[in-house]
Amino acid sequence: MTRGLVLAVLAALAGCSAPSGPVPSQAADLAEVLGGESDGFARALEPREFGFPRDHGSHPDYRTEWWYFTGHLSGADDEAFGFQFTLFRSGLPRRTPGQGGGWRARDLWMGHFAVGDFRRGDFWPFERFARGALGLAGASETGFDAWLENWRIVAEDTEQADSPVVLSAEAGDVALRLRLVPERPPVLQGVNGLSQKGAEPGSASYYYSMPRWRAAGSVRVPAGDFEVSGTAWLDREWSTSVLEPGQAGWDWFSLQLDDGSDLMLYAMRRDDGTTDEYSSGTYVAADGTVQPLQRDDFSIEPRGTWTTDDGIEYPAAWTLRVPGAGLELEVAPRIPNQEMRLSFRYWEGAVVATGSLGGMSVGGRGFVELTGYGRPD
Amino acid sequence: MSRTLNRTSARYLTRHPWQLVLALGGVGLGVAVAVAVALATESAQRAFKLSNDRLVGTATHQVVAGTAGLPDELYRRLRVDLGIRKSAPIVEGFARSEDAASGTLRIIGIDPLAESFRGDLGMVLGTDAYPLDAFLTEPGAVLAPEALGSVGDVVEATVDGRLIRLAVVGRVPGDGSALADTVVADIATAQELLELSGRLSRIDLQLDATDLGDRVQAELPSGARLVEAAARADTTVQMTAAFELNLRAMSLLAVLCGMFLIYNTMAFSVVQRRELFGALRAVGVTRREILRLVLAEAVAVGTVGTLLGLAGGIALASRLVRLVTRTINDLYFAVAVEQVALEPRVLAGAAALGILATLVSAIAPARQAAGVAPRVAMMRSAEDDSGWVNHPGLAGAGVLAGLAGFALATWRGGDLVAAFGGLLMVVLGASLLAPTVVRAVAKGGAALLGAIVGTPGRMAARALTVGLGRVSVAVAALALAVAVVVGVGVMVTSFRTTLIDWLGYTLQADLYVSPVSARGQSATLRLSNEQLSEIANLTGVDRLATIRTISVETSPEPTAVLAPSHAVEDRESYRLLEPSGNQAMEDAWMRFEGGEVLVSEPLAERRGVAVGDVVTLPSPSGALELRVAGVYVSYASDRGEVMMRRSVYASLWRDPLISGLALHLADGATRDGVARQLREILQPLQVVVVSNSELRAQSLVIFDRTFRITAVLQTLVTLVAAFGVFGAVLAQQLERAREYALLRLTGFTPGQLRALIGAQAGLMSVASIALALPVGWVLAWLMIHVINKRSFGWTLQMTVPPGVLGQAAAVALVAALLAAIYPAVRATIAPPGAALREE
Repeated sequence: MTRGLVLAVLAALAGCSAPSGPVPSQAADLAEVLGGESDGFARALEPREFGFPRDHGSHPDYRTEWWYFTGHLSGADDEAFGFQFTLFRSGLPRRTPGQGGGWRARDLWMGHFAVGDFRRGDFWPFERFARGALGLAGASETGFDAWLENWRIVAEDTEQADSPVVLSAEAGDVALRLRLVPERPPVLQGVNGLSQKGAEPGSASYYYSMPRWRAAGSVRVPAGDFEVSGTAWLDREWSTSVLEPGQAGWDWFSLQLDDGSDLMLYAMRRDDGTTDEYSSGTYVAADGTVQPLQRDDFSIEPRGTWTTDDGIEYPAAWTLRVPGAGLELEVAPRIPNQEMRLSFRYWEGAVVATGSLGGMSVGGRGFVELTGYGRPD
Repeated sequence: MSRTLNRTSARYLTRHPWQLVLALGGVGLGVAVAVAVALATESAQRAFKLSNDRLVGTATHQVVAGTAGLPDELYRRLRVDLGIRKSAPIVEGFARSEDAASGTLRIIGIDPLAESFRGDLGMVLGTDAYPLDAFLTEPGAVLAPEALGSVGDVVEATVDGRLIRLAVVGRVPGDGSALADTVVADIATAQELLELSGRLSRIDLQLDATDLGDRVQAELPSGARLVEAAARADTTVQMTAAFELNLRAMSLLAVLCGMFLIYNTMAFSVVQRRELFGALRAVGVTRREILRLVLAEAVAVGTVGTLLGLAGGIALASRLVRLVTRTINDLYFAVAVEQVALEPRVLAGAAALGILATLVSAIAPARQAAGVAPRVAMMRSAEDDSGWVNHPGLAGAGVLAGLAGFALATWRGGDLVAAFGGLLMVVLGASLLAPTVVRAVAKGGAALLGAIVGTPGRMAARALTVGLGRVSVAVAALALAVAVVVGVGVMVTSFRTTLIDWLGYTLQADLYVSPVSARGQSATLRLSNEQLSEIANLTGVDRLATIRTISVETSPEPTAVLAPSHAVEDRESYRLLEPSGNQAMEDAWMRFEGGEVLVSEPLAERRGVAVGDVVTLPSPSGALELRVAGVYVSYASDRGEVMMRRSVYASLWRDPLISGLALHLADGATRDGVARQLREILQPLQVVVVSNSELRAQSLVIFDRTFRITAVLQTLVTLVAAFGVFGAVLAQQLERAREYALLRLTGFTPGQLRALIGAQAGLMSVASIALALPVGWVLAWLMIHVINKRSFGWTLQMTVPPGVLGQAAAVALVAALLAAIYPAVRATIAPPGAALREE
């Protein structure tokens, strides 16, 4: 969900990070690009009418937007993988364009791509940047098609709302090619898709998820090429939101449970250690019923930590409770190190969940995103 | 014992401060000149390499296409379709700006997001010093080094006559000194500023896999080339190699002069101490110890002199580097040197050269000292007994060495280094003739001066032959310097005369119009067809010609392509070297009209191209095989030019642009009037409108600027030589102080004594001039016909100006007479008794 905020908040946080830390100090200034100037951009002020496939496409009137796939894959011989594939669009200040040619861009694009090889305990994160010009990066404004160089997610039929999507990415020895078939229609997050991020009107995003995709394809890791299949989750969000002070980072969960229900939760942590009131979530029952969750409707309790070689401590296990749904889950990472140690530094990893739902035991899997932990106190 | 010996050295040197100063001066000046030239040229090279390294980083290859550039789309194909992620597009151009120290501002356009694989020019997130959003979106946004402007400043510059405004939004990351006079802009901004929409200057690639090169090659449009980055940088540096070698050769002449000086000083000190050495030998000091003693003195003097020379050279270098940089900018490529780089390698090399030169110069005197027999202790003689000057084979050896040197220099298979080696042999061979010349001059002088001034004149002439060894060396040193003055003077004058002649017949139009743009860079004059016809129809304009000049990427260096609109009509502007004969020339022009090309002399010379051969040029229409119809004279550039008909060029390059205009005016039209109308039509474009005479004058200004450094070096060499003569005369006179005192006592008037001393100095300069003029002429001939030809490929008409000869003679005479003043004054002031008691 709040992955958009990931960018902006991380950027702001990185600016305060210790100089010795590996977080690039320049990260701070992406805040200027991302959060500095909102003039000329539309803002998410009120709920809107969503329409597909149009809203799978780009929304260049808003400053920030992303397409966010995460998933679990498995192959023969107990091979197990996790992946993240994200394209971030960041609108540049809308100035009068020069008369110049094709290099003048309205957007900068950042791609994050990671594959975890759980059998071998390996994790490979990658990033790419390009401007939205000359076909180097871009997205359709009418259907599901977004790319950054040769990293691409494109619908087999961009005119279809529920068309399968082909994902392809490669970097170094790692490559992923998947055909993703949606198994559940888009779920509008927040209030009919308007996800409020702060008290200020407009500190909000438009946000929908497609929590269940059936994935099949191939993955390449240094250990070899593998035919794989599995499940994936898509988050789509766009906004021009300007961050509010006092927000330290957040913990975000997306879980697909065995009974067919899906859970999204996010807790925004404030500087003082409390949970921000704009934390929220959604529970989608197996029959498709959507139940919005407010801050007081759930709890997230860290149960352990994992420390990076340079001393950043991330939570590494949690107990989640959603009393209204009768849900209690123990959540643990597949492997500890799934840190995206890139220009923006955060932890985004595959997790497994076990617990009970309405008194019945239930299992599941999903992804967790942890931001704002690289910050010294 | 050795400590005692060392003390005798120290005592001797401190008691003869003049000699010490001369020896130190000789070493010091020679080393200073050598160091200064080496540092200045190295600094210019280093500045280029630093900025190149900075910009190229770890890229291994570059795709280039000369002025025409590359399509944007090629970059996407290489990066995305071929998956070469270590790739970066570059747009580069030059502007004229008052704010740039060198006057030329380099604009580098980059994609900050593509740079991460190399260097630190890239940026993906932005910082205060590199605000990405402003960099990417503000009009004219650039990162600039501190020296050019602070954040918020606007730097004004002119590109192809257009005024552009650069908004400084940040600082070039890292060490800015490597990128002096350079601003970094986003590639979109750079394309706008330079009017290169849709075109890239080059694409830098880091090709890790060997097979990638072939795959890239297959993608390239015609006219583009894939080159190795390092080789390309080397080629650029190589362009100045000949220029720099010429400078270095001259600086070595200064060292050679210095060596003569050291020899002289050491030889004199040995002669003066004959008794001492004899006595030392008598008390049991071995020959070896004496040899070592004198060599140790030489090393001590050499070391101190070298240190002084290094200090002086460093100071001198900061002045020379400006001249060197200016010339490189005028003739070769844009480079800005912020400061002289004190390369340890250069300093160490110069130090070794200084000490080694001292040591080599001291070997003969040291052996002479060691050869003093013990019994000489009891003999009193201060005479020069260096036997070599009387060796009968000396003159023959000199002639042989000179001839061999000439043969080496002119040997067809030889390169530039061989030419300089041969030149050096000629100089050294000529030096061996010095005793012969001195003897002849003394003989003639005795008769002549005897008749004019009587006894003092005859005595002066005889004195030359008595101290023949040292006199010869001093004369050789002065002759060498004068020969250099003559040789370089004749060469420069010949060059200048040739250039004036060429400018005279080449610049036949009345007015020339070009956009205000960076010096030495090919420009584009952007005119609409309406403007063009408006100009053609101006009252006063009889005829309008246009020219297009572009640079294309060829190996090993770029080639200029010239496409004049009226080459055939204006054929008096071009002089064909090949073929010769009226009918053959007619045929050549016919073939030119038919689509063949003419090549400039430097191209023909340096790439071995002759009439009937084929030159291959890349073009947007593919690789062109162009047959050469003729070779024409051009001093515009020492890089090669290929001239073709405009229609041929236009169809091959699909390029309708022009670089400049040439206007022939109707009778009665005033240049100023037409120029004013021109400027009005071309507004707001800033253009340079010059008459042919102004253009001629400007060309000569650049020419003179190029040779200013030569003149400076010439002066320095002369200075070293004058020092040598000064030392030789001084030493000789000091040695004779006792003799002069006796002469005074026997009735010589101070005036007669002064005449004697002055006549001696005068005869020495006459001997030098007699030796220098023919040697200078040979040097000039070699420089013009061999060195210039091999360096730059130009044929120059040799002109021997009497002024240069007179100037050279005056230099020799003045140096010798100045050197005589102090001994003359001293000999006449000192009470005769004191000089006698000194013994």
